[in-house]
Amino acid sequence: MSFRKILLNTTGADRILFMLLLSVSLAGIFFIKDIMPQSRSVLVEVNGKPVYILPIDKNRIVSVKGPEGNTTIEIKDRKVRISDSPCSNKLCIKQGWITGGSIVCLPNRVVVTVGNKDRQKDGPDAITG
Amino acid sequence: MQLRDKYRIALLSAFAIGIHGIETLLPSPIPWMRLGLANVITVIALLLYGFRTAMLVTLVRVIISSLLTGTFPGPAFILSLGGGVLSTMSMGVVALLAPGLFSAVGLSIIGAFMHNMTQLTLAYFLIIQRIEAVLLIAPVITLAGTLTGTLNGLVSETVIRNLKKYIIENKDN
Repeated sequence: MSFRKILLNTTGADRILFMLLLSVSLAGIFFIKDIMPQSRSVLVEVNGKPVYILPIDKNRIVSVKGPEGNTTIEIKDRKVRISDSPCSNKLCIKQGWITGGSIVCLPNRVVVTVGNKDRQKDGPDAITG
Repeated sequence: MQLRDKYRIALLSAFAIGIHGIETLLPSPIPWMRLGLANVITVIALLLYGFRTAMLVTLVRVIISSLLTGTFPGPAFILSLGGGVLSTMSMGVVALLAPGLFSAVGLSIIGAFMHNMTQLTLAYFLIIQRIEAVLLIAPVITLAGTLTGTLNGLVSETVIRNLKKYIIENKDN
């Protein structure tokens, strides 16, 4: 029997199931950003020690003191950025606003991380065996 | 169980193990994404010889393949076993409750879907405790599963139809 004939002999239920799963999985891929649990807190560390843990939904400006001076961190509209820093290359400022991940100011030893509060202690991702 | 059934199960299992072994040699950009071609044997066994044969073939295939690849009691084996058993059970239930509704293609898609869901669930509870990782990858895996399930189903259907004239159909339950 040829391939074409087999394709024609698939039942209606087959095709419905195929279309259904196909569309659900494609929709899932496209809308994955909305499904992901959102980050809730901003962690500011200086020299590896946490200095501030702030909620991301409150607009706020804080300043932390590092070896080179004061770094200013701004939280606004659920986004975070470093607005001012005494480092020479200003790479941290150039990174702009983030909604996830981290911004680092290496010269001033400041790390700003956006993430979930319950995962502050970073253990291994997965363990097998 | 009659001797004929035992021979049948042994032969089908051997086919399945062989197919699985060859399939692991095929290069793939994504290591854990396999075509699952051995499931063709499971579907054929289910449709021609019944649920018990299909389940036994699946069990033998999973256990012996894992022994041969050296992953025997490890996490890969658990995932494979869970996926295989639940997928065969779901296909068997559907084939039992609604005999003409799905062809081999539909059954294969159902089996592939259940296989993937079971493996994701097992992986979440046993290995990776982060739901975000599982949620992130679930749509991709479902998509891949649907496509490969369809492919396997078409292969199964082709084989069954071409064999129909030679096979003495004998459902054992």
